[in-house]
Amino acid sequence: MASTRVIAPYVLVLPSFVLAALIVIWPVNELAQLASHSVNRFGQIRDFVGMANFAALLDDPNFIASLWRTGIWTIGVVGGAIICSVPVALVLNEDFYGRDLARVIVMLPWAVSLTMTAIVWRWALSGESGMLNSALLELGVIDQNIQWLAEASTAFPMQILIGILVTIPFTVTIILGGLSSIPDDLYEAAALEGAGRWEQFRHITLPLIAPFLNIALVLNTIYVFNSFPIIWAMTQGGPANSTDILVTYLYKVGFRLGKLGEASAVSLVMFGILLVFTLIYVRLTTAKGAKI
Amino acid sequence: MQVKTLHKNTFFSLKRLMLAGVGAVALSASANAGTVRVTVAEYSAKTGPYFEQVAKDFEAANPGIDIQFEVVPWDNLLQKLTTDISANANADLSIIGTRWLVDFVEQGIAEPLDSYLTPEIKGRFIETFLTPSVMNGKTYGLPIAASARAMYYNKDLLAKAGLSEPPKTWAELEDYAKKISAQGNGVYGFGLQGKEVETDVYFYYGMWSFGGDIVKDGKSGLDSKAAIDAASLYKRLIDQGATQPGVTSYAREDVQNLFKQGKIGMMITAPFLANQIRDEAPNLQYGVAPIPKGPGGDQGTYGVTDSVIMFQNSKNKAEAFKFLDFLFQPKQRIKFTVDEGFLPVTKAEAEDKYFTENANLKVFTSLLPTARFAPVIAGWEEIADTTSSALQRIYLGQGQIEPTLKEAAEKANAILKK
Repeated sequence: MASTRVIAPYVLVLPSFVLAALIVIWPVNELAQLASHSVNRFGQIRDFVGMANFAALLDDPNFIASLWRTGIWTIGVVGGAIICSVPVALVLNEDFYGRDLARVIVMLPWAVSLTMTAIVWRWALSGESGMLNSALLELGVIDQNIQWLAEASTAFPMQILIGILVTIPFTVTIILGGLSSIPDDLYEAAALEGAGRWEQFRHITLPLIAPFLNIALVLNTIYVFNSFPIIWAMTQGGPANSTDILVTYLYKVGFRLGKLGEASAVSLVMFGILLVFTLIYVRLTTAKGAKI
Repeated sequence: MQVKTLHKNTFFSLKRLMLAGVGAVALSASANAGTVRVTVAEYSAKTGPYFEQVAKDFEAANPGIDIQFEVVPWDNLLQKLTTDISANANADLSIIGTRWLVDFVEQGIAEPLDSYLTPEIKGRFIETFLTPSVMNGKTYGLPIAASARAMYYNKDLLAKAGLSEPPKTWAELEDYAKKISAQGNGVYGFGLQGKEVETDVYFYYGMWSFGGDIVKDGKSGLDSKAAIDAASLYKRLIDQGATQPGVTSYAREDVQNLFKQGKIGMMITAPFLANQIRDEAPNLQYGVAPIPKGPGGDQGTYGVTDSVIMFQNSKNKAEAFKFLDFLFQPKQRIKFTVDEGFLPVTKAEAEDKYFTENANLKVFTSLLPTARFAPVIAGWEEIADTTSSALQRIYLGQGQIEPTLKEAAEKANAILKK
């Protein structure tokens, strides 16, 4: 009797462990194999080379630059999305005529594939025939066309803005979930005590949706860090690698230049970084999961 | 519900990460005897239906052999082949860019076709296009699509600038481009590609005309005088407003679109633009001329072929070759080449009326004797990428011409030595 009790949890956990092993541990093992060997462009493994693939990465200024840029990209998109999503969620949480429609409109970008969004923006940002330039000229904001995608200094900020735009729906959904769990009587009591809208937000809303913001932060970080379509469809990381982030760099090294060993090394580096975020996520959900 | 979606998202992001690195998990389904699987590139919307029809016709004539096509967008083709081969799940035949062939041959992935090729079949092809598929004396691929480049010019824009003939030299081109740009109104003289695949090739047109080579005696020609002269010319065109602004945001298709909109006086590209103009801008008055000559009279166009190869691990080689024999008969060939706007690769096609009576296509075929192909070297894609990046820095004014080219040449030489 006592022994079944000891074994039971492990038996119950076993199926999910096997699943995890199949989808996580086995690929990571394969990646480690590729990253530590010389690999031809068709993924056929040749000689063992130890850390040479990682060393080659550190020697590549484009890798280092992509690493930093990935940081800017992730912080910019995730931070921007959260800052924009809180007010949107607050408005959508109010009871007003046509709220359902407004919610649908805010959620719509989620329904369109990222690649489609990015391609539409690529057209919109085209220098000679793009909608954005026509609109700005019409409004008198600019007096000659801006070549948005010709240089990183204009292309990359635009990509971050588009990243924010497509991240908002998911973030709003999470925050709305948090807002709907706050009982109305808290606000009524606070109003009786003379708290204004800002004080109510600052002392009631914000602390109570904080766990939800944390979740949004971690999940978006993981997602945005890995996001390929926006940058690829608009600039392919160019001109001259100046808008590459790790995942577009990975794709180029792996599939365009055929260096699968180095590409696997990049994957492992990315996996390491993301693992840290995943661990944070697990902590957040287990510590405060009861509230969700 | 909320919790469930959240977990699902982490799950997906992890899985995506894995897949990004490892490539597709083995999907290998061993083909039945008598089934020939063929991977083909999707050149246009007409490609898929064309191959479906070919398969139907072939199967009707050869009962017992089943043809299965996988139509892959051109941009994803190399990636698909890479993952298929690493998972040992590749087809029996595939279209590849002939410039990739060296890797396929070195790694023992492509099967030599010599034991199947009868003199009759070999004799069907135009020599120039078959040669790039021959390595170490063996034929590894049959050219299925061929293209060369020439200069398209907008007759109306030239006439408005008081010009009656297209430029014959690069010096004339510079002069004409400035005159066309001077019309203003969003009209520019020379369309210059500065983004994505073939950014380097657009530069070679100039470099070849100035007498340069991509690779000479095993060394990169990027730091040669010809390369510097050509880069200086292109940079001058950009600085004087003779090209469209922001060249580094223009891929080849983007420049072609400007040309179709009548906003570009001259651009260099492949025969298929003529088909696009026919369908999308039938009123555009344009002509096709040879690529201008350099000061020494040099001239060169870029020749490109795609080939069909047979995989060394194919289990149905005889059936597969039977299909190739069928595919390269005049009826199939002419329809394909006309549909896609390529150049004829077999002699029978070249004799067809469609090609002999088409003045524009004649310009392309007349350039073939001077056509140059991408050098057959391992690591070519990396050299092309290095070159494109260097050019983008020059076009943007982020690098001085000579040092930037020199640095790129050094990188290319290091790749060549491997």
